[in-house]
Amino acid sequence: MRRALTLLVMIVSLTAQPAQAYLHLTSSTGSKQTPLTWNQARVRWFATDRGVAGVTAAQFQTAVAAGFATWEAVPTASVAFQFVGFTSAVPFDDDGISTFGFDAQPDLDRVLGATSFVVDTLTGEIVESDVFFNSIFTWSTAAAGDASRFDLQSVATHEIGHFVGLGHSAIGETEIRPDGGRRVIASGAVMFPISLGRGITADRTLQPDDIAGVSDLYPDGDFDDTTGAISGRVVRNGTGVIGAHVIAFNPKTGVIIGGFSIGEGGTFQIAGLTPGAHVIRVEPLDDADIDSFFSPSGIDVDFQVTLFPRLIVAPEGGASDRFDVSVRPK
Amino acid sequence: MTNRKRWSAAFIAGVIGVMYAASLSAMVVVPAEFSEMVTASELVVHGRVVEIRPQIVGDRRTIETVVTLTVLDAIKGQPGTTVYFRVPGGQIGRYRRFMVGAPEFAAGDEVVLFLKGRPPAVPFPFGLSQGVYRVVRDGDGRSLVTPPVVSEAAGRVVRGDVSRRPLELSAFTRNVRAIAERQP
Repeated sequence: MRRALTLLVMIVSLTAQPAQAYLHLTSSTGSKQTPLTWNQARVRWFATDRGVAGVTAAQFQTAVAAGFATWEAVPTASVAFQFVGFTSAVPFDDDGISTFGFDAQPDLDRVLGATSFVVDTLTGEIVESDVFFNSIFTWSTAAAGDASRFDLQSVATHEIGHFVGLGHSAIGETEIRPDGGRRVIASGAVMFPISLGRGITADRTLQPDDIAGVSDLYPDGDFDDTTGAISGRVVRNGTGVIGAHVIAFNPKTGVIIGGFSIGEGGTFQIAGLTPGAHVIRVEPLDDADIDSFFSPSGIDVDFQVTLFPRLIVAPEGGASDRFDVSVRPK
Repeated sequence: MTNRKRWSAAFIAGVIGVMYAASLSAMVVVPAEFSEMVTASELVVHGRVVEIRPQIVGDRRTIETVVTLTVLDAIKGQPGTTVYFRVPGGQIGRYRRFMVGAPEFAAGDEVVLFLKGRPPAVPFPFGLSQGVYRVVRDGDGRSLVTPPVVSEAAGRVVRGDVSRRPLELSAFTRNVRAIAERQP
Protein backbone atom coordinates (compact mmCIF):
# COMPACT_ATOMS: atom_id res chain seq x y z
CA MET A 1 0.00 0.00 0.00
CA ARG A 2 2.72 2.47 1.00
CA ARG A 3 4.71 1.60 -2.11
CA ALA A 4 1.66 2.16 -4.30
CA LEU A 5 1.09 5.54 -2.67
CA THR A 6 4.68 6.52 -3.33
CA LEU A 7 4.29 5.56 -6.95
CA LEU A 8 1.15 7.58 -7.18
CA VAL A 9 2.73 10.68 -5.73
CA MET A 10 5.72 10.37 -8.03
CA ILE A 11 3.55 10.18 -11.09
CA VAL A 12 1.12 12.93 -10.28
CA SER A 13 3.76 15.32 -8.98
CA LEU A 14 5.00 15.75 -12.51
CA THR A 15 1.88 17.62 -13.37
CA ALA A 16 -1.26 18.01 -11.20
CA GLN A 17 -5.18 18.39 -10.64
CA PRO A 18 -8.97 17.48 -9.43
CA ALA A 19 -12.65 15.89 -9.37
CA GLN A 20 -16.20 15.83 -7.68
CA ALA A 21 -18.51 13.58 -5.41
CA TYR A 22 -21.97 12.95 -3.89
CA LEU A 23 -25.15 14.11 -5.55
CA HIS A 24 -27.70 16.49 -4.06
CA LEU A 25 -31.38 16.20 -4.81
CA THR A 26 -32.88 19.46 -6.03
CA SER A 27 -36.25 21.10 -6.22
CA SER A 28 -37.22 23.68 -8.75
CA THR A 29 -39.34 26.76 -8.27
CA GLY A 30 -39.87 28.34 -11.63
CA SER A 31 -36.56 28.12 -13.41
CA LYS A 32 -34.53 28.09 -10.20
CA GLN A 33 -33.00 24.84 -8.95
CA THR A 34 -32.12 24.60 -5.28
CA PRO A 35 -30.87 21.74 -3.12
CA LEU A 36 -33.70 19.86 -1.48
CA THR A 37 -33.32 20.30 2.26
CA TRP A 38 -35.47 20.35 5.38
CA ASN A 39 -35.81 23.65 7.15
CA GLN A 40 -37.21 22.35 10.47
CA ALA A 41 -35.02 22.18 13.56
CA ARG A 42 -36.13 18.58 14.02
CA VAL A 43 -37.58 16.64 11.14
CA ARG A 44 -40.54 14.58 12.33
CA TRP A 45 -41.10 11.02 11.19
CA PHE A 46 -43.58 8.22 11.84
CA ALA A 47 -43.26 4.45 11.63
CA THR A 48 -45.98 2.14 10.41
CA ASP A 49 -47.49 -0.03 13.09
CA ARG A 50 -47.04 -3.27 11.17
CA GLY A 51 -44.10 -5.61 11.19
CA VAL A 52 -43.25 -8.49 8.90
CA ALA A 53 -42.01 -12.01 9.50
CA GLY A 54 -38.88 -11.70 11.60
CA VAL A 55 -39.23 -7.99 12.32
CA THR A 56 -41.84 -6.52 14.66
CA ALA A 57 -43.04 -2.95 14.36
CA ALA A 58 -40.98 -2.05 17.43
CA GLN A 59 -37.83 -3.64 15.98
CA PHE A 60 -38.46 -1.83 12.74
CA GLN A 61 -38.72 1.51 14.53
CA THR A 62 -35.55 0.82 16.50
CA ALA A 63 -33.56 -0.03 13.35
CA VAL A 64 -34.77 3.06 11.50
CA ALA A 65 -34.07 5.23 14.52
CA ALA A 66 -30.52 3.86 14.57
CA GLY A 67 -30.17 4.89 10.94
CA PHE A 68 -31.35 8.40 11.80
CA ALA A 69 -28.94 8.54 14.72
CA THR A 70 -26.06 7.70 12.38
CA TRP A 71 -26.73 10.71 10.19
CA GLU A 72 -27.49 12.92 13.19
CA ALA A 73 -24.12 12.02 14.70
CA VAL A 74 -22.09 13.50 11.86
CA PRO A 75 -20.16 16.20 13.72
CA THR A 76 -19.85 18.53 10.76
CA ALA A 77 -23.55 18.50 9.88
CA SER A 78 -26.52 20.00 11.63
CA VAL A 79 -29.61 17.94 11.01
CA ALA A 80 -31.86 16.38 13.63
CA PHE A 81 -34.87 14.11 13.67
CA GLN A 82 -37.76 13.25 15.95
CA PHE A 83 -39.71 10.02 16.04
CA VAL A 84 -43.33 11.05 16.59
CA GLY A 85 -45.04 7.70 16.89
CA PHE A 86 -46.54 4.71 15.16
CA THR A 87 -49.19 5.19 12.51
CA SER A 88 -51.61 3.08 10.53
CA ALA A 89 -50.68 5.11 7.46
CA VAL A 90 -48.49 3.48 4.84
CA PRO A 91 -45.59 4.98 2.92
CA PHE A 92 -46.45 6.90 -0.23
CA ASP A 93 -49.84 8.04 1.02
CA ASP A 94 -50.00 11.74 0.33
CA ASP A 95 -51.07 12.64 3.84
CA GLY A 96 -48.62 15.31 4.91
CA ILE A 97 -46.64 13.12 7.30
CA SER A 98 -43.33 11.40 6.68
CA THR A 99 -43.84 7.69 7.10
CA PHE A 100 -41.36 4.84 7.19
CA GLY A 101 -42.73 1.36 6.85
CA PHE A 102 -42.96 -1.99 5.21
CA ASP A 103 -45.09 -2.33 2.14
CA ALA A 104 -45.47 -5.14 -0.37
CA GLN A 105 -44.57 -3.90 -3.83
CA PRO A 106 -44.32 -6.99 -6.04
CA ASP A 107 -44.12 -4.80 -9.14
CA LEU A 108 -40.84 -3.46 -7.78
CA ASP A 109 -39.29 -6.84 -7.26
CA ARG A 110 -35.72 -5.56 -7.65
CA VAL A 111 -36.17 -2.71 -5.21
CA LEU A 112 -35.45 -3.27 -1.53
CA GLY A 113 -36.46 0.20 -0.49
CA ALA A 114 -37.12 3.62 -1.90
CA THR A 115 -37.69 7.18 -0.81
CA SER A 116 -40.22 9.56 -2.23
CA PHE A 117 -40.87 13.24 -1.66
CA VAL A 118 -43.83 15.51 -2.09
CA VAL A 119 -42.61 19.01 -2.84
CA ASP A 120 -44.56 22.23 -3.09
CA THR A 121 -43.38 23.57 -6.42
CA LEU A 122 -44.38 27.14 -5.56
CA THR A 123 -42.22 27.36 -2.46
CA GLY A 124 -39.73 24.54 -3.02
CA GLU A 125 -40.51 23.19 0.45
CA ILE A 126 -40.74 19.52 1.28
CA VAL A 127 -44.29 18.62 2.28
CA GLU A 128 -43.43 15.06 3.27
CA SER A 129 -41.04 12.26 2.51
CA ASP A 130 -41.92 8.60 2.79
CA VAL A 131 -39.68 5.56 2.77
CA PHE A 132 -40.87 2.07 2.01
CA PHE A 133 -39.14 -1.23 2.60
CA ASN A 134 -40.32 -3.90 0.26
CA SER A 135 -41.86 -6.71 2.30
CA ILE A 136 -41.59 -9.17 -0.58
CA PHE A 137 -38.00 -9.55 0.67
CA THR A 138 -37.01 -11.02 4.02
CA TRP A 139 -35.53 -8.63 6.58
CA SER A 140 -33.42 -8.80 9.70
CA THR A 141 -32.59 -6.54 12.60
CA ALA A 142 -30.06 -8.93 14.13
CA ALA A 143 -27.07 -7.11 15.56
CA ALA A 144 -24.60 -9.05 13.45
CA GLY A 145 -26.92 -9.50 10.49
CA ASP A 146 -28.57 -12.63 9.20
CA ALA A 147 -27.00 -14.32 6.20
CA SER A 148 -30.37 -15.16 4.71
CA ARG A 149 -31.98 -11.74 5.10
CA PHE A 150 -31.36 -8.12 4.17
CA ASP A 151 -30.19 -5.88 6.97
CA LEU A 152 -32.91 -3.36 7.71
CA GLN A 153 -30.68 -0.79 9.38
CA SER A 154 -28.29 -0.73 6.42
CA VAL A 155 -31.04 -0.10 3.90
CA ALA A 156 -32.64 2.43 6.26
CA THR A 157 -29.36 4.33 6.53
CA HIS A 158 -29.19 4.52 2.72
CA GLU A 159 -32.79 5.72 2.42
CA ILE A 160 -32.35 8.27 5.18
CA GLY A 161 -29.49 9.64 3.10
CA HIS A 162 -32.08 10.33 0.42
CA PHE A 163 -34.47 11.63 3.07
CA VAL A 164 -31.95 14.34 4.01
CA GLY A 165 -31.43 15.28 0.37
CA LEU A 166 -28.67 13.14 -1.06
CA GLY A 167 -28.86 11.34 -4.38
CA HIS A 168 -26.83 8.32 -5.33
CA SER A 169 -23.10 7.97 -5.23
CA ALA A 170 -21.21 6.17 -7.99
CA ILE A 171 -18.34 5.13 -5.76
CA GLY A 172 -18.56 1.38 -5.91
CA GLU A 173 -17.47 -1.64 -7.80
CA THR A 174 -19.31 -4.73 -9.01
CA GLU A 175 -18.58 -8.02 -10.67
CA ILE A 176 -20.40 -10.68 -12.59
CA ARG A 177 -20.20 -13.91 -10.64
CA PRO A 178 -19.12 -17.09 -12.40
CA ASP A 179 -22.47 -18.65 -11.54
CA GLY A 180 -24.34 -15.62 -12.84
CA GLY A 181 -25.66 -12.49 -11.18
CA ARG A 182 -24.06 -9.19 -10.39
CA ARG A 183 -22.80 -8.32 -6.97
CA VAL A 184 -21.04 -5.48 -5.26
CA ILE A 185 -17.35 -6.08 -4.55
CA ALA A 186 -16.89 -2.93 -2.54
CA SER A 187 -18.45 0.48 -2.21
CA GLY A 188 -17.15 3.79 -0.98
CA ALA A 189 -20.48 5.25 0.05
CA VAL A 190 -23.66 4.18 1.79
CA MET A 191 -25.38 6.07 -1.02
CA PHE A 192 -24.10 3.61 -3.62
CA PRO A 193 -27.37 2.28 -5.02
CA ILE A 194 -26.77 -1.45 -5.24
CA SER A 195 -27.33 -3.60 -2.19
CA LEU A 196 -24.28 -5.27 -0.71
CA GLY A 197 -26.36 -8.40 -0.29
CA ARG A 198 -28.05 -10.43 2.40
CA GLY A 199 -26.49 -10.51 5.82
CA ILE A 200 -24.10 -7.62 5.24
CA THR A 201 -24.29 -4.75 7.71
CA ALA A 202 -21.51 -2.52 6.36
CA ASP A 203 -23.93 0.17 5.22
CA ARG A 204 -24.85 0.97 8.79
CA THR A 205 -21.67 3.07 8.82
CA LEU A 206 -21.27 6.26 6.81
CA GLN A 207 -18.23 6.79 4.63
CA PRO A 208 -16.40 10.03 3.81
CA ASP A 209 -18.42 10.63 0.65
CA ASP A 210 -21.67 10.41 2.64
CA ILE A 211 -20.32 12.64 5.38
CA ALA A 212 -19.12 15.28 2.94
CA GLY A 213 -22.50 15.19 1.20
CA VAL A 214 -24.63 15.73 4.28
CA SER A 215 -22.21 18.27 5.72
CA ASP A 216 -22.34 20.29 2.53
CA LEU A 217 -26.14 20.33 2.75
CA TYR A 218 -26.37 21.13 6.47
CA PRO A 219 -22.99 22.61 7.41
CA ASP A 220 -22.34 22.89 11.10
CA GLY A 221 -19.75 24.83 13.04
CA ASP A 222 -16.63 25.53 11.07
CA PHE A 223 -17.21 22.94 8.35
CA ASP A 224 -17.05 25.48 5.55
CA ASP A 225 -13.98 27.13 7.02
CA THR A 226 -12.01 23.98 7.62
CA THR A 227 -12.71 22.09 4.43
CA GLY A 228 -12.02 22.91 0.82
CA ALA A 229 -13.63 22.49 -2.56
CA ILE A 230 -12.50 21.87 -6.07
CA SER A 231 -14.33 23.03 -9.12
CA GLY A 232 -13.84 22.50 -12.79
CA ARG A 233 -15.31 21.34 -16.02
CA VAL A 234 -15.19 18.16 -18.06
CA VAL A 235 -14.79 18.80 -21.78
CA ARG A 236 -14.43 16.85 -24.98
CA ASN A 237 -13.13 18.76 -27.98
CA GLY A 238 -13.90 21.95 -26.10
CA THR A 239 -17.54 21.05 -25.43
CA GLY A 240 -18.83 20.31 -21.95
CA VAL A 241 -19.45 16.68 -21.01
CA ILE A 242 -22.62 16.19 -18.98
CA GLY A 243 -22.86 13.42 -16.42
CA ALA A 244 -19.23 12.43 -16.02
CA HIS A 245 -18.32 10.94 -12.65
CA VAL A 246 -15.52 12.96 -11.10
CA ILE A 247 -13.52 11.51 -8.24
CA ALA A 248 -11.22 13.36 -5.87
CA PHE A 249 -8.69 11.18 -4.14
CA ASN A 250 -6.60 12.53 -1.30
CA PRO A 251 -3.39 10.48 -1.28
CA LYS A 252 -2.52 11.69 2.20
CA THR A 253 -5.72 10.48 3.85
CA GLY A 254 -6.81 7.83 1.36
CA VAL A 255 -10.26 9.43 1.24
CA ILE A 256 -12.27 9.34 -1.98
CA ILE A 257 -15.12 11.73 -2.61
CA GLY A 258 -16.96 11.93 -5.89
CA GLY A 259 -19.36 14.06 -7.84
CA PHE A 260 -20.76 14.64 -11.29
CA SER A 261 -20.29 17.15 -14.08
CA ILE A 262 -23.93 18.13 -14.17
CA GLY A 263 -23.52 21.90 -14.02
CA GLU A 264 -23.95 24.11 -17.02
CA GLY A 265 -21.45 23.22 -19.72
CA GLY A 266 -20.18 20.16 -17.86
CA THR A 267 -19.08 21.97 -14.71
CA PHE A 268 -18.69 20.36 -11.31
CA GLN A 269 -17.86 21.30 -7.75
CA ILE A 270 -16.94 18.98 -4.91
CA ALA A 271 -17.03 20.48 -1.45
CA GLY A 272 -16.17 19.06 1.95
CA LEU A 273 -12.67 17.95 1.05
CA THR A 274 -9.81 17.78 3.48
CA PRO A 275 -7.58 20.71 2.48
CA GLY A 276 -4.67 19.58 0.40
CA ALA A 277 -3.72 17.99 -2.86
CA HIS A 278 -6.09 15.66 -4.69
CA VAL A 279 -5.80 13.36 -7.65
CA ILE A 280 -8.68 13.81 -10.05
CA ARG A 281 -10.13 10.99 -12.08
CA VAL A 282 -12.99 11.36 -14.56
CA GLU A 283 -14.96 8.36 -15.75
CA PRO A 284 -18.13 7.62 -17.71
CA LEU A 285 -21.21 6.15 -16.03
CA ASP A 286 -21.18 3.39 -18.60
CA ASP A 287 -21.99 0.58 -16.19
CA ALA A 288 -24.97 2.15 -14.46
CA ASP A 289 -28.66 2.79 -14.73
CA ILE A 290 -28.26 6.44 -15.55
CA ASP A 291 -31.89 7.18 -14.74
CA SER A 292 -31.23 6.25 -11.14
CA PHE A 293 -28.78 9.14 -10.81
CA PHE A 294 -30.25 12.04 -12.70
CA SER A 295 -32.56 13.07 -15.46
CA PRO A 296 -30.62 11.72 -18.39
CA SER A 297 -30.94 14.44 -21.00
CA GLY A 298 -27.61 14.84 -22.76
CA ILE A 299 -25.65 12.45 -20.53
CA ASP A 300 -22.42 11.33 -22.22
CA VAL A 301 -20.98 7.92 -21.34
CA ASP A 302 -18.86 7.34 -24.42
CA PHE A 303 -15.48 8.61 -23.36
CA GLN A 304 -12.35 7.20 -21.81
CA VAL A 305 -11.37 7.25 -18.16
CA THR A 306 -9.08 10.22 -17.67
CA LEU A 307 -6.70 11.22 -14.93
CA PHE A 308 -6.07 14.91 -14.67
CA PRO A 309 -2.33 15.34 -15.18
CA ARG A 310 -1.75 17.55 -12.15
CA LEU A 311 -2.70 17.45 -8.50
CA ILE A 312 -5.45 19.87 -7.55
CA VAL A 313 -5.28 21.57 -4.19
CA ALA A 314 -8.49 22.10 -2.24
CA PRO A 315 -7.68 25.23 -0.21
CA GLU A 316 -8.89 25.47 3.38
CA GLY A 317 -12.08 27.50 3.49
CA GLY A 318 -12.16 28.04 -0.25
CA ALA A 319 -12.33 26.49 -3.68
CA SER A 320 -9.66 25.68 -6.22
CA ASP A 321 -9.30 27.68 -9.35
CA ARG A 322 -11.50 26.18 -12.01
CA PHE A 323 -9.76 23.72 -14.30
CA ASP A 324 -10.79 21.75 -17.36
CA VAL A 325 -10.42 17.98 -17.62
CA SER A 326 -10.21 17.01 -21.24
CA VAL A 327 -11.53 13.55 -22.10
CA ARG A 328 -11.21 11.53 -25.29
CA PRO A 329 -13.84 9.40 -26.97
CA LYS A 330 -13.56 5.65 -26.60
CA MET B 1 -9.47 -5.18 4.03
CA THR B 2 -12.09 -2.51 4.69
CA ASN B 3 -14.17 -1.06 1.87
CA ARG B 4 -12.32 2.22 2.19
CA LYS B 5 -8.93 0.59 1.94
CA ARG B 6 -10.11 -1.45 -1.01
CA TRP B 7 -11.17 1.72 -2.71
CA SER B 8 -7.94 3.51 -2.05
CA ALA B 9 -6.00 0.59 -3.39
CA ALA B 10 -8.27 0.33 -6.41
CA PHE B 11 -7.94 4.01 -7.16
CA ILE B 12 -4.20 3.85 -7.04
CA ALA B 13 -4.25 0.82 -9.28
CA GLY B 14 -6.15 2.92 -11.80
CA VAL B 15 -3.60 5.69 -11.59
CA ILE B 16 -0.71 3.40 -12.33
CA GLY B 17 -2.45 1.94 -15.31
CA VAL B 18 -4.01 -1.24 -14.00
CA MET B 19 -7.61 -0.34 -14.69
CA TYR B 20 -9.77 -0.32 -11.60
CA ALA B 21 -13.43 -1.14 -11.70
CA ALA B 22 -16.60 0.43 -10.41
CA SER B 23 -20.33 0.26 -10.87
CA LEU B 24 -23.80 1.28 -9.79
CA SER B 25 -27.59 1.18 -10.31
CA ALA B 26 -30.90 2.54 -8.66
CA MET B 27 -32.34 3.09 -5.14
CA VAL B 28 -31.25 0.13 -3.08
CA VAL B 29 -31.62 -2.55 -5.65
CA VAL B 30 -30.83 -6.12 -6.39
CA PRO B 31 -29.44 -5.83 -9.91
CA ALA B 32 -30.43 -8.10 -12.78
CA GLU B 33 -28.30 -9.25 -15.63
CA PHE B 34 -29.39 -8.18 -19.08
CA SER B 35 -30.58 -11.61 -20.23
CA GLU B 36 -32.49 -12.04 -17.00
CA MET B 37 -34.23 -8.74 -17.63
CA VAL B 38 -35.16 -9.76 -21.18
CA THR B 39 -36.55 -13.05 -19.95
CA ALA B 40 -38.50 -11.56 -17.08
CA SER B 41 -40.07 -8.74 -19.09
CA GLU B 42 -43.41 -9.43 -20.74
CA LEU B 43 -42.88 -6.63 -23.23
CA VAL B 44 -39.79 -5.02 -24.73
CA VAL B 45 -40.63 -2.11 -26.99
CA HIS B 46 -38.89 0.67 -28.83
CA GLY B 47 -41.10 3.71 -28.91
CA ARG B 48 -41.66 7.38 -28.43
CA VAL B 49 -43.39 8.97 -25.45
CA VAL B 50 -46.44 10.88 -26.57
CA GLU B 51 -48.28 11.62 -23.34
CA ILE B 52 -47.59 11.96 -19.62
CA ARG B 53 -50.62 11.69 -17.38
CA PRO B 54 -50.11 12.10 -13.62
CA GLN B 55 -52.96 10.76 -11.54
CA ILE B 56 -53.92 10.09 -7.96
CA VAL B 57 -54.14 6.39 -7.43
CA GLY B 58 -57.03 4.75 -5.61
CA ASP B 59 -57.16 4.49 -1.88
CA ARG B 60 -53.46 5.17 -1.57
CA ARG B 61 -53.90 8.83 -2.44
CA THR B 62 -50.51 8.76 -4.04
CA ILE B 63 -49.43 10.27 -7.32
CA GLU B 64 -48.16 8.12 -10.13
CA THR B 65 -47.85 8.82 -13.83
CA VAL B 66 -49.23 6.83 -16.71
CA VAL B 67 -47.01 7.23 -19.74
CA THR B 68 -48.28 6.63 -23.26
CA LEU B 69 -45.80 5.30 -25.75
CA THR B 70 -46.25 4.99 -29.49
CA VAL B 71 -44.63 1.71 -30.45
CA LEU B 72 -42.05 1.97 -33.20
CA ASP B 73 -40.88 -1.62 -32.86
CA ALA B 74 -42.22 -4.49 -30.76
CA ILE B 75 -39.05 -6.32 -29.79
CA LYS B 76 -40.65 -8.83 -27.45
CA GLY B 77 -44.35 -9.49 -26.97
CA GLN B 78 -47.30 -8.16 -28.94
CA PRO B 79 -48.18 -4.76 -27.61
CA GLY B 80 -50.11 -3.22 -30.51
CA THR B 81 -49.43 0.31 -31.63
CA THR B 82 -49.64 1.96 -28.22
CA VAL B 83 -48.33 0.94 -24.82
CA TYR B 84 -49.24 2.38 -21.45
CA PHE B 85 -46.94 2.00 -18.50
CA ARG B 86 -46.65 3.66 -15.14
CA VAL B 87 -43.93 5.13 -13.04
CA PRO B 88 -44.06 6.46 -9.48
CA GLY B 89 -44.54 10.16 -8.98
CA GLY B 90 -45.78 13.06 -11.02
CA GLN B 91 -47.13 16.53 -10.52
CA ILE B 92 -50.72 17.48 -9.81
CA GLY B 93 -51.37 21.14 -9.26
CA ARG B 94 -48.59 22.69 -7.22
CA TYR B 95 -47.49 19.41 -5.64
CA ARG B 96 -44.92 17.13 -7.17
CA ARG B 97 -44.16 13.65 -5.91
CA PHE B 98 -41.00 11.93 -7.00
CA MET B 99 -39.25 8.75 -6.04
CA VAL B 100 -35.49 8.97 -5.83
CA GLY B 101 -33.92 6.87 -8.56
CA ALA B 102 -37.12 6.30 -10.52
CA PRO B 103 -37.15 7.31 -14.18
CA GLU B 104 -39.03 10.34 -15.42
CA PHE B 105 -40.26 10.83 -18.94
CA ALA B 106 -41.22 13.70 -21.19
CA ALA B 107 -43.20 13.78 -24.41
CA GLY B 108 -40.86 13.14 -27.31
CA ASP B 109 -38.49 10.85 -25.40
CA GLU B 110 -37.35 7.93 -27.53
CA VAL B 111 -36.76 4.82 -25.47
CA VAL B 112 -36.43 1.09 -25.37
CA LEU B 113 -38.44 -0.18 -22.42
CA PHE B 114 -38.46 -3.49 -20.63
CA LEU B 115 -41.91 -3.76 -19.08
CA LYS B 116 -43.09 -6.14 -16.43
CA GLY B 117 -46.69 -6.84 -15.52
CA ARG B 118 -49.45 -8.71 -17.27
CA PRO B 119 -52.70 -7.09 -18.39
CA PRO B 120 -55.00 -5.80 -17.06
CA ALA B 121 -52.36 -4.35 -14.75
CA VAL B 122 -50.54 -1.36 -16.19
CA PRO B 123 -46.89 -2.42 -16.23
CA PHE B 124 -43.86 -0.80 -14.60
CA PRO B 125 -40.43 -0.68 -16.24
CA PHE B 126 -38.44 -3.69 -15.05
CA GLY B 127 -36.64 -2.72 -11.85
CA LEU B 128 -37.78 0.85 -12.56
CA SER B 129 -34.62 2.45 -13.92
CA GLN B 130 -32.98 -0.86 -14.87
CA GLY B 131 -35.53 -1.40 -17.61
CA VAL B 132 -35.12 2.00 -19.25
CA TYR B 133 -32.77 2.55 -22.18
CA ARG B 134 -32.64 5.90 -23.96
CA VAL B 135 -32.23 6.25 -27.71
CA VAL B 136 -30.02 9.13 -28.79
CA ARG B 137 -28.52 10.25 -32.09
CA ASP B 138 -24.80 10.58 -32.56
CA GLY B 139 -23.07 13.11 -34.77
CA ASP B 140 -23.58 10.89 -37.80
CA GLY B 141 -27.30 10.54 -37.15
CA ARG B 142 -27.06 6.94 -35.96
CA SER B 143 -29.50 5.80 -33.29
CA LEU B 144 -27.61 4.66 -30.22
CA VAL B 145 -28.94 3.04 -27.06
CA THR B 146 -27.70 4.13 -23.63
CA PRO B 147 -26.59 3.06 -21.16
CA PRO B 148 -24.31 0.47 -22.74
CA VAL B 149 -25.11 -3.14 -21.96
CA VAL B 150 -22.84 -4.67 -19.34
CA SER B 151 -21.29 -7.94 -20.49
CA GLU B 152 -22.38 -11.05 -18.64
CA ALA B 153 -18.91 -12.56 -18.77
CA ALA B 154 -17.72 -13.40 -15.28
CA GLY B 155 -15.35 -10.90 -13.73
CA ARG B 156 -15.11 -7.32 -12.59
CA VAL B 157 -17.26 -4.76 -14.32
CA VAL B 158 -14.67 -2.16 -15.25
CA ARG B 159 -16.06 1.32 -15.52
CA GLY B 160 -14.78 3.05 -18.64
CA ASP B 161 -14.02 -0.23 -20.40
CA VAL B 162 -13.33 0.98 -23.94
CA SER B 163 -15.14 -2.00 -25.41
CA ARG B 164 -18.38 -1.05 -23.65
CA ARG B 165 -20.02 1.52 -25.86
CA PRO B 166 -23.59 2.50 -26.62
CA LEU B 167 -24.95 0.00 -29.14
CA GLU B 168 -26.63 0.95 -32.35
CA LEU B 169 -30.36 0.46 -31.98
CA SER B 170 -30.43 -2.28 -34.61
CA ALA B 171 -27.73 -4.27 -32.82
CA PHE B 172 -29.42 -3.76 -29.47
CA THR B 173 -32.76 -5.06 -30.71
CA ARG B 174 -31.12 -8.03 -32.41
CA ASN B 175 -29.47 -8.87 -29.13
CA VAL B 176 -32.75 -8.70 -27.23
CA ARG B 177 -34.57 -10.81 -29.82
CA ALA B 178 -31.84 -13.43 -29.75
CA ILE B 179 -32.11 -13.74 -25.98
CA ALA B 180 -35.91 -13.81 -26.10
CA GLU B 181 -35.89 -16.57 -28.73
CA ARG B 182 -33.72 -18.73 -26.49
CA GLN B 183 -36.25 -18.32 -23.71
CA PRO B 184 -38.01 -21.60 -22.90
